[in-house]
Amino acid sequence: MNSRVTQRLVQAAFVASIALLWHFATASGRVAPLLLPPMPAVGHELSALAADADFWPDLRTTLFELVMAFLLAAAAGTAAGYAVSRTRYAVRTFEPLMAGMYAVPAILLFPLYVLFFGLGPGSKIAIGATIAFFPVALSTITGLSGVNRLYLTAARSMGASSGQTFRLVMLPAALPAILAGLRIGANAAFMAILGAETIASFAGLGHRIVSMAESMDTAKMFANIVLAMSVAAMINIAVSAAEKRGWKHEQA
Amino acid sequence: MTPAAPAIRVQNVSQTYGAAGDPRRVVALGGASLEIARGEMVCLVGPSGCGKSTLLNLIGGLATPESGNIWIDGEPVRGPQPQKVAFVFQESALFPWRTIQENVELGMEFQGVPVSERASRARESLATAGLSAFASHYPRQLSGGMKQRAQLARALALRTGILLMDEPFAALDEQTRMVFGEELSLLLANAGKTIVLVTHSLTEAVFLADRVAVFSARPGRIKQIVSVDEEHPRRQSFMTSPKLAQLRNELYDLLHDEIRSTMNLPAAEPGQ
Amino acid sequence: MSRPEPAVARLAVIALLLGIWEVAARAFGNPLFICPPSRVVAAFAALFRDADVVEAVYYTSFEILVAFVIAVVIGFALGLAVGLHRFTRGAMYPVILLLYAMPQVTILPLFVVVFGIGAVSKIAFGVSHGVFPMIMTVAAGAQSIEPILLRSARSMGANRMQVLRYVVFPHLVPSFFAGMRLAMTAVLLGVLVAELYVSQAGVGRFTSAFTQTFQPANLFALIGVLAALAITLNELCRRAELRFSRWCAG
Repeated sequence: MNSRVTQRLVQAAFVASIALLWHFATASGRVAPLLLPPMPAVGHELSALAADADFWPDLRTTLFELVMAFLLAAAAGTAAGYAVSRTRYAVRTFEPLMAGMYAVPAILLFPLYVLFFGLGPGSKIAIGATIAFFPVALSTITGLSGVNRLYLTAARSMGASSGQTFRLVMLPAALPAILAGLRIGANAAFMAILGAETIASFAGLGHRIVSMAESMDTAKMFANIVLAMSVAAMINIAVSAAEKRGWKHEQA
Repeated sequence: MTPAAPAIRVQNVSQTYGAAGDPRRVVALGGASLEIARGEMVCLVGPSGCGKSTLLNLIGGLATPESGNIWIDGEPVRGPQPQKVAFVFQESALFPWRTIQENVELGMEFQGVPVSERASRARESLATAGLSAFASHYPRQLSGGMKQRAQLARALALRTGILLMDEPFAALDEQTRMVFGEELSLLLANAGKTIVLVTHSLTEAVFLADRVAVFSARPGRIKQIVSVDEEHPRRQSFMTSPKLAQLRNELYDLLHDEIRSTMNLPAAEPGQ
Repeated sequence: MSRPEPAVARLAVIALLLGIWEVAARAFGNPLFICPPSRVVAAFAALFRDADVVEAVYYTSFEILVAFVIAVVIGFALGLAVGLHRFTRGAMYPVILLLYAMPQVTILPLFVVVFGIGAVSKIAFGVSHGVFPMIMTVAAGAQSIEPILLRSARSMGANRMQVLRYVVFPHLVPSFFAGMRLAMTAVLLGVLVAELYVSQAGVGRFTSAFTQTFQPANLFALIGVLAALAITLNELCRRAELRFSRWCAG
């Protein structure tokens, strides 16, 4: 008896039973279509999305906010991480401070950002960049300050200048950690932007979902949720692929 | 139980890992047979993966053989027999969240020994192992050699007739294992226990054992048994004696081709 | 010249930042949007005299604690099931990973549609955030038990219950507390996001009121209180984790 096949069967059965439960719950009329729309309706709305004139601008808004927030966080986070990792003293001073701030739910700052930057993309970019900054900065510190001393000694023994040591030894050694930080940052920024659009905005994917919830158009809302999740999955796949390219020597 | 029965009797035991048809399927043991008398110390040596540790687990009832039979005191083995058999593993088998004393008491706790008796038996066996001063230390605070003495104390406290030791010296450095070997010989000479010990060190095997069982490469079976005719406890002088060297060379000759075969090298040419 | 302790230097950095903020806000800030920290401190006192605000902070704390307890209990049970049984792991783990990777904020409006705008939707959203880190940490902990410890216990005659009690549970104590810390961070995020989205009786009502009526001092003060609450709860969990991870330091 092959247990791996059985496990796949259990997984498939799990997914199928959820789909069946969904189907029967809506078909029998026991669950109001307002709470849970029938599956075909969601499918229909999903295919209608591409033709929806409002959809593309909303997607563009969200992606624009994401790219801007990510670029800001990547630049500021790696720069701050590099600056802090220059001396052990700075690491011991700033690393706990940043780690402590990272544990506070930064979404709390969003009302302030709305006050500063308004309801438009500005406040979304600011919250996304704030939230993505910490994982990028912290993993840059971890990566650069955690380089094996033996590598540095070996480089010095071969006559490397400090510039060469950084470019040829520290950076490649720290790259996996920095890339992991950028991946976590990109995902966190996307979550933060979707959340911020949900809380207060007048454009973007998060806003679409909220306005459909408020107008009780649940089939459309489900279609948009499915879409937002696929965008998240695509971002995840893209950044993971980018991360893997930086890891080549780790692969057997 | 028949009084004449050997302490351990292994008859034509085989064991396979992995399902039929699986390319990773491995025949670990291919029909091993062995008889061990009461109070005897037997060392198992052989190439890696020849099933020495597997045989030990089967004797202790931690696994069930695919075919063949094992008897302890004339009774067939059907599962763990904590009243008759105690194990000593590599050093990582101490529970890191319990002090040394608590580790020694744990087996008795499993078997329902009353609290007062547990404590006194644990103290007694810790004293035998020379660890009285470390009873309330945690395992990580002890050196590798001390951890192994603690495991030995844990096994002794169970007061079993049989002691199974699975590479107990594997994680120790060479000097420590030599000193520990001497201590062990002294300690066990008077204990009258039946002992089976798996080791990679041929010197250690000759130094400690009454008989050394040499395994063939996978699928493992016992190729030959070499007797060591020397009084217990054995001293440092035996360690450096020509007799030990000669027996060790004999073991090495027996193992040489087996080890080459596990490394996928051709058997050595005669005269080489 | 000898350098001060890093902790002292850290306080100095914080003081310096507050000083810059104070000067910049007084010199260049528009009082509609920003205010100096000295005014925020003054606003704290006024805020706590407002019974409605105090009530809202209590209410939100209650939501956080209930969500936390539910997430820990469910997460521990599922983590144990997934971590201890190879079959359950193979069958359930990919499903759990998939659910964990989903951007949960997108279904926040759904939570409100299903559970209403009261405490229940906040608690449910908080649980949906906190339960996954707990499952992952406990499952990873259960999988990391050294097989030799299980073998050793069995060789000494331990039965299934004794193996759970003497080997599995003690081994899981550090993972349990590590999971609690991660669950707390996640629950805080879930509950606070839900509060900011829509709120009847919790702090979200006041964050949006202060934003819409341009009261930066009150908004800063309230956010400061919530951040302090989050830091305290995180710190409690971190201390508990440190205390109970003693034997991991080996």
